[in-house]
Amino acid sequence: MVNNNIVMIGVSTGGPIALKRLFAEIPPLNAVLVIVLHIPPGMDYKIARSLAAVASMPVALAADGEYLRSGHIYLAPGGFHLKLEGNSRIILEEGARVNFVQPSIDVAMKSLHKPLKKRRIIGVIMTGMGKDGAEGIRHVKALGGVTIAQDAVTSAIYGMPKAAVETGAVDFVFPLMKIGKKLFELLN
Amino acid sequence: MDAKVMLVDDEEMIRESVKVFFQSEGVGILTAASGDECLDHLEDGFRGVILMDVMMPDMDGWDTIRKIVENDLYEGNIIVMLTALGTPDNNMEGLQEYVTDYLTKPFNPDALMEILQYYFNLLGALEPVDGK
Repeated sequence: MVNNNIVMIGVSTGGPIALKRLFAEIPPLNAVLVIVLHIPPGMDYKIARSLAAVASMPVALAADGEYLRSGHIYLAPGGFHLKLEGNSRIILEEGARVNFVQPSIDVAMKSLHKPLKKRRIIGVIMTGMGKDGAEGIRHVKALGGVTIAQDAVTSAIYGMPKAAVETGAVDFVFPLMKIGKKLFELLN
Repeated sequence: MDAKVMLVDDEEMIRESVKVFFQSEGVGILTAASGDECLDHLEDGFRGVILMDVMMPDMDGWDTIRKIVENDLYEGNIIVMLTALGTPDNNMEGLQEYVTDYLTKPFNPDALMEILQYYFNLLGALEPVDGK
Protein backbone atom coordinates (compact mmCIF):
# COMPACT_ATOMS: atom_id res chain seq x y z
CA MET A 1 0.00 0.00 0.00
CA VAL A 2 1.46 3.33 -1.07
CA ASN A 3 1.66 5.91 1.68
CA ASN A 4 -0.53 8.77 0.42
CA ASN A 5 -3.18 10.93 2.00
CA ILE A 6 -6.44 10.34 0.14
CA VAL A 7 -9.34 12.69 -0.45
CA MET A 8 -12.41 11.11 -2.02
CA ILE A 9 -15.14 13.52 -3.13
CA GLY A 10 -18.62 12.29 -4.03
CA VAL A 11 -20.75 14.77 -5.96
CA SER A 12 -23.68 14.85 -8.37
CA THR A 13 -26.19 17.43 -9.61
CA GLY A 14 -24.62 20.86 -9.28
CA GLY A 15 -21.22 19.21 -9.19
CA PRO A 16 -19.46 20.52 -12.30
CA ILE A 17 -19.83 24.17 -11.29
CA ALA A 18 -19.16 23.45 -7.60
CA LEU A 19 -15.97 21.54 -8.42
CA LYS A 20 -14.81 24.34 -10.72
CA ARG A 21 -15.34 26.91 -7.98
CA LEU A 22 -13.68 24.72 -5.35
CA PHE A 23 -10.57 23.81 -7.32
CA ALA A 24 -10.06 27.28 -8.77
CA GLU A 25 -9.32 28.45 -5.23
CA ILE A 26 -7.23 25.77 -3.57
CA PRO A 27 -3.47 25.35 -3.96
CA PRO A 28 -1.86 21.95 -4.65
CA LEU A 29 -2.71 19.52 -1.86
CA ASN A 30 -0.54 16.87 -0.26
CA ALA A 31 -2.93 14.06 -1.21
CA VAL A 32 -4.36 12.06 -4.05
CA LEU A 33 -7.81 13.39 -4.92
CA VAL A 34 -10.43 11.08 -6.38
CA ILE A 35 -13.67 12.63 -7.57
CA VAL A 36 -16.72 10.44 -8.11
CA LEU A 37 -19.23 12.55 -10.04
CA HIS A 38 -22.47 11.05 -11.36
CA ILE A 39 -21.83 11.50 -15.04
CA PRO A 40 -22.47 9.68 -18.30
CA PRO A 41 -19.69 8.70 -20.70
CA GLY A 42 -19.23 11.46 -23.23
CA MET A 43 -19.51 14.20 -20.62
CA ASP A 44 -16.72 12.92 -18.35
CA TYR A 45 -13.72 14.07 -20.39
CA LYS A 46 -15.34 17.49 -20.90
CA ILE A 47 -15.66 17.94 -17.14
CA ALA A 48 -12.06 16.77 -16.64
CA ARG A 49 -10.85 19.21 -19.28
CA SER A 50 -12.79 22.09 -17.77
CA LEU A 51 -11.48 21.33 -14.27
CA ALA A 52 -7.94 21.05 -15.59
CA ALA A 53 -8.24 24.59 -16.95
CA VAL A 54 -8.77 26.05 -13.47
CA ALA A 55 -7.19 23.64 -10.96
CA SER A 56 -3.70 24.06 -9.54
CA MET A 57 -3.21 20.27 -9.72
CA PRO A 58 -3.21 18.02 -12.81
CA VAL A 59 -6.64 16.56 -13.59
CA ALA A 60 -7.33 13.44 -15.63
CA LEU A 61 -9.93 10.74 -16.05
CA ALA A 62 -9.03 7.78 -13.84
CA ALA A 63 -7.63 4.90 -15.90
CA ASP A 64 -7.98 1.24 -15.02
CA GLY A 65 -4.84 -0.12 -13.38
CA GLU A 66 -3.31 3.30 -12.84
CA TYR A 67 -1.41 4.00 -9.61
CA LEU A 68 -2.46 7.20 -7.88
CA ARG A 69 0.06 10.02 -7.48
CA SER A 70 -0.03 12.62 -4.75
CA GLY A 71 -0.97 16.11 -5.87
CA HIS A 72 -3.11 14.78 -8.71
CA ILE A 73 -6.87 14.83 -9.23
CA TYR A 74 -8.56 11.77 -10.74
CA LEU A 75 -12.14 11.90 -12.07
CA ALA A 76 -14.03 8.61 -12.21
CA PRO A 77 -15.15 8.02 -15.81
CA GLY A 78 -18.80 7.51 -16.71
CA GLY A 79 -20.05 3.98 -17.34
CA PHE A 80 -17.95 2.23 -14.66
CA HIS A 81 -17.73 1.86 -10.91
CA LEU A 82 -14.39 2.97 -9.51
CA LYS A 83 -12.62 1.14 -6.70
CA LEU A 84 -9.20 1.56 -5.19
CA GLU A 85 -6.99 -1.47 -4.64
CA GLY A 86 -4.68 -1.09 -1.65
CA ASN A 87 -5.72 2.59 -1.41
CA SER A 88 -3.38 3.17 -4.32
CA ARG A 89 -4.48 1.63 -7.60
CA ILE A 90 -7.55 2.36 -9.69
CA ILE A 91 -9.82 -0.49 -10.64
CA LEU A 92 -12.71 0.26 -13.01
CA GLU A 93 -15.54 -2.25 -13.03
CA GLU A 94 -18.59 -2.63 -15.19
CA GLY A 95 -21.70 -3.99 -13.52
CA ALA A 96 -25.11 -3.16 -12.15
CA ARG A 97 -25.93 0.31 -10.93
CA VAL A 98 -25.71 0.86 -7.20
CA ASN A 99 -28.17 3.32 -5.64
CA PHE A 100 -29.46 3.65 -9.24
CA VAL A 101 -26.17 5.28 -10.29
CA GLN A 102 -22.88 4.51 -11.95
CA PRO A 103 -20.20 5.45 -10.92
CA SER A 104 -21.39 5.01 -7.34
CA ILE A 105 -19.81 7.00 -4.53
CA ASP A 106 -20.67 4.25 -2.03
CA VAL A 107 -18.81 1.67 -4.15
CA ALA A 108 -15.74 3.90 -4.36
CA MET A 109 -15.62 4.92 -0.70
CA LYS A 110 -16.32 1.39 0.55
CA SER A 111 -13.26 0.17 -1.37
CA LEU A 112 -11.00 2.25 0.89
CA HIS A 113 -8.89 0.54 3.54
CA LYS A 114 -7.57 1.83 6.84
CA PRO A 115 -4.69 4.15 5.97
CA LEU A 116 -1.13 3.63 7.08
CA LYS A 117 -0.11 5.45 10.23
CA LYS A 118 -0.10 9.25 10.07
CA ARG A 119 -1.88 9.26 6.72
CA ARG A 120 -5.32 10.75 6.33
CA ILE A 121 -8.40 9.62 4.50
CA ILE A 122 -10.94 12.37 3.95
CA GLY A 123 -14.41 11.73 2.57
CA VAL A 124 -16.41 14.64 1.19
CA ILE A 125 -20.04 14.61 0.03
CA MET A 126 -21.08 17.59 -2.05
CA THR A 127 -24.27 18.67 -3.79
CA GLY A 128 -26.52 16.06 -5.35
CA MET A 129 -29.85 14.22 -5.39
CA GLY A 130 -30.49 10.87 -3.77
CA LYS A 131 -28.44 9.15 -1.09
CA ASP A 132 -25.40 7.74 -2.82
CA GLY A 133 -22.37 8.32 -0.63
CA ALA A 134 -24.12 8.07 2.76
CA GLU A 135 -22.89 4.52 3.40
CA GLY A 136 -19.54 5.48 1.94
CA ILE A 137 -19.17 8.29 4.46
CA ARG A 138 -20.08 5.89 7.26
CA HIS A 139 -17.27 3.61 6.06
CA VAL A 140 -14.72 6.44 5.88
CA LYS A 141 -15.58 7.44 9.44
CA ALA A 142 -15.25 3.83 10.61
CA LEU A 143 -11.73 3.77 9.13
CA GLY A 144 -10.82 6.75 11.30
CA GLY A 145 -11.09 9.23 8.45
CA VAL A 146 -12.37 12.80 8.46
CA THR A 147 -15.75 13.41 6.87
CA ILE A 148 -17.19 16.59 5.40
CA ALA A 149 -20.56 17.43 3.85
CA GLN A 150 -21.44 20.52 1.83
CA ASP A 151 -24.08 22.67 3.49
CA ALA A 152 -27.64 23.33 2.29
CA VAL A 153 -27.01 26.99 1.47
CA THR A 154 -24.27 26.40 -1.09
CA SER A 155 -25.48 23.03 -2.44
CA ALA A 156 -27.48 23.19 -5.67
CA ILE A 157 -29.44 20.37 -4.08
CA TYR A 158 -28.88 19.18 -0.54
CA GLY A 159 -30.08 15.56 -0.98
CA MET A 160 -26.79 13.65 -0.86
CA PRO A 161 -25.14 15.80 1.82
CA LYS A 162 -28.29 15.52 3.94
CA ALA A 163 -28.33 11.73 3.62
CA ALA A 164 -24.67 11.66 4.66
CA VAL A 165 -25.32 13.94 7.66
CA GLU A 166 -28.23 11.75 8.74
CA THR A 167 -25.85 8.79 9.21
CA GLY A 168 -24.33 10.68 12.14
CA ALA A 169 -20.89 10.05 10.61
CA VAL A 170 -20.18 13.54 9.26
CA ASP A 171 -17.62 15.60 11.17
CA PHE A 172 -18.10 18.94 9.42
CA VAL A 173 -20.89 20.58 7.41
CA PHE A 174 -19.38 23.46 5.49
CA PRO A 175 -20.20 25.94 2.75
CA LEU A 176 -18.34 25.18 -0.47
CA MET A 177 -15.33 27.45 -0.06
CA LYS A 178 -14.75 26.40 3.54
CA ILE A 179 -14.39 22.81 2.32
CA GLY A 180 -11.31 23.88 0.40
CA LYS A 181 -9.84 25.68 3.37
CA LYS A 182 -10.40 22.65 5.60
CA LEU A 183 -8.75 20.31 3.12
CA PHE A 184 -5.70 22.55 3.04
CA GLU A 185 -5.61 22.75 6.84
CA LEU A 186 -5.85 18.98 7.22
CA LEU A 187 -3.33 18.08 4.53
CA ASN A 188 -0.73 20.79 4.22
CA MET B 1 -29.71 33.24 -34.20
CA ASP B 2 -29.23 29.54 -33.47
CA ALA B 3 -30.93 28.48 -30.27
CA LYS B 4 -28.49 27.49 -27.52
CA VAL B 5 -31.10 27.19 -24.77
CA MET B 6 -34.42 25.36 -24.63
CA LEU B 7 -36.86 26.25 -21.86
CA VAL B 8 -39.39 23.54 -21.09
CA ASP B 9 -42.18 24.91 -18.90
CA ASP B 10 -45.96 24.52 -19.04
CA GLU B 11 -46.56 28.09 -17.80
CA GLU B 12 -46.84 30.54 -20.68
CA MET B 13 -45.95 33.56 -18.56
CA ILE B 14 -42.68 31.97 -17.56
CA ARG B 15 -41.87 30.94 -21.13
CA GLU B 16 -42.52 34.46 -22.39
CA SER B 17 -40.58 36.32 -19.68
CA VAL B 18 -37.56 34.02 -19.91
CA LYS B 19 -37.63 34.28 -23.72
CA VAL B 20 -37.54 38.09 -23.51
CA PHE B 21 -34.63 37.93 -21.07
CA PHE B 22 -32.50 35.64 -23.22
CA GLN B 23 -33.26 37.57 -26.38
CA SER B 24 -32.09 40.76 -24.64
CA GLU B 25 -28.85 38.94 -23.77
CA GLY B 26 -28.39 37.88 -27.38
CA VAL B 27 -28.81 34.19 -26.57
CA GLY B 28 -30.92 32.11 -28.93
CA ILE B 29 -33.76 30.35 -27.13
CA LEU B 30 -36.47 27.84 -28.02
CA THR B 31 -39.43 27.17 -25.76
CA ALA B 32 -41.50 24.06 -25.21
CA ALA B 33 -44.75 23.87 -23.26
CA SER B 34 -44.44 20.16 -22.50
CA GLY B 35 -42.12 17.18 -22.43
CA ASP B 36 -43.47 16.07 -25.81
CA GLU B 37 -42.62 19.43 -27.39
CA CYS B 38 -39.15 19.18 -25.88
CA LEU B 39 -38.66 15.79 -27.52
CA ASP B 40 -39.90 17.22 -30.83
CA HIS B 41 -37.27 19.99 -30.69
CA LEU B 42 -34.56 17.44 -29.90
CA GLU B 43 -35.64 15.24 -32.80
CA ASP B 44 -35.50 18.35 -35.00
CA GLY B 45 -31.86 18.74 -34.01
CA PHE B 46 -31.72 21.08 -30.99
CA ARG B 47 -28.58 20.57 -28.94
CA GLY B 48 -27.67 22.88 -26.08
CA VAL B 49 -28.73 23.65 -22.52
CA ILE B 50 -32.21 22.45 -21.58
CA LEU B 51 -33.88 24.30 -18.71
CA MET B 52 -36.46 21.73 -17.59
CA ASP B 53 -39.37 22.49 -15.28
CA VAL B 54 -40.01 19.62 -12.89
CA MET B 55 -43.74 20.00 -12.35
CA MET B 56 -45.62 19.66 -15.61
CA PRO B 57 -48.96 17.95 -16.26
CA ASP B 58 -49.07 14.66 -18.22
CA MET B 59 -45.29 14.08 -18.23
CA ASP B 60 -43.14 15.69 -15.53
CA GLY B 61 -39.54 16.84 -15.98
CA TRP B 62 -38.10 13.56 -14.69
CA ASP B 63 -40.10 11.38 -17.08
CA THR B 64 -39.20 13.73 -19.92
CA ILE B 65 -35.52 13.15 -19.18
CA ARG B 66 -36.15 9.40 -19.14
CA LYS B 67 -37.65 9.67 -22.62
CA ILE B 68 -34.72 11.81 -23.78
CA VAL B 69 -32.24 9.17 -22.61
CA GLU B 70 -34.30 6.22 -23.91
CA ASN B 71 -34.52 7.83 -27.34
CA ASP B 72 -30.75 8.51 -27.48
CA LEU B 73 -31.36 12.25 -27.57
CA TYR B 74 -29.26 13.20 -24.50
CA GLU B 75 -25.80 13.47 -26.07
CA GLY B 76 -24.77 17.03 -26.85
CA ASN B 77 -27.12 18.51 -24.24
CA ILE B 78 -26.86 19.66 -20.67
CA ILE B 79 -29.99 19.52 -18.51
CA VAL B 80 -30.74 21.98 -15.71
CA MET B 81 -33.84 21.36 -13.60
CA LEU B 82 -36.03 24.30 -12.61
CA THR B 83 -38.10 23.85 -9.51
CA ALA B 84 -40.23 25.88 -7.16
CA LEU B 85 -39.29 25.54 -3.50
CA GLY B 86 -40.78 22.42 -2.06
CA THR B 87 -41.10 20.64 -5.39
CA PRO B 88 -40.83 16.93 -4.69
CA ASP B 89 -37.87 15.16 -6.24
CA ASN B 90 -39.08 11.65 -5.63
CA ASN B 91 -39.19 10.58 -9.27
CA MET B 92 -35.51 11.20 -9.97
CA GLU B 93 -33.96 7.78 -9.36
CA GLY B 94 -31.46 6.82 -12.01
CA LEU B 95 -31.35 10.29 -13.53
CA GLN B 96 -28.61 11.80 -11.39
CA GLU B 97 -25.92 11.55 -14.07
CA TYR B 98 -28.13 13.32 -16.62
CA VAL B 99 -29.10 16.33 -14.47
CA THR B 100 -26.15 18.71 -14.37
CA ASP B 101 -27.70 21.44 -12.26
CA TYR B 102 -30.79 22.33 -10.25
CA LEU B 103 -32.14 25.87 -9.89
CA THR B 104 -34.96 27.11 -7.68
CA LYS B 105 -37.50 29.47 -9.20
CA PRO B 106 -37.54 32.45 -9.29
CA PHE B 107 -33.90 32.39 -10.38
CA ASN B 108 -31.45 35.26 -10.49
CA PRO B 109 -31.00 36.12 -14.19
CA ASP B 110 -27.34 37.23 -13.83
CA ALA B 111 -26.45 34.10 -11.86
CA LEU B 112 -28.18 32.02 -14.51
CA MET B 113 -26.19 33.67 -17.32
CA GLU B 114 -22.90 32.96 -15.50
CA ILE B 115 -23.85 29.31 -15.11
CA LEU B 116 -25.02 29.07 -18.72
CA GLN B 117 -21.77 30.55 -20.02
CA TYR B 118 -19.92 27.73 -18.24
CA TYR B 119 -22.25 25.09 -19.71
CA PHE B 120 -21.95 26.52 -23.21
CA ASN B 121 -18.16 26.23 -22.84
CA LEU B 122 -18.52 22.63 -21.63
CA LEU B 123 -20.60 21.77 -24.65
CA GLY B 124 -18.13 23.52 -26.91
CA ALA B 125 -21.00 25.54 -28.30
CA LEU B 126 -19.12 28.80 -27.92
CA GLU B 127 -15.49 29.86 -27.76
CA PRO B 128 -14.15 29.56 -24.18
CA VAL B 129 -14.10 32.82 -22.24
CA ASP B 130 -10.62 33.43 -20.69
CA GLY B 131 -9.90 29.72 -20.72
CA LYS B 132 -12.39 28.86 -18.00
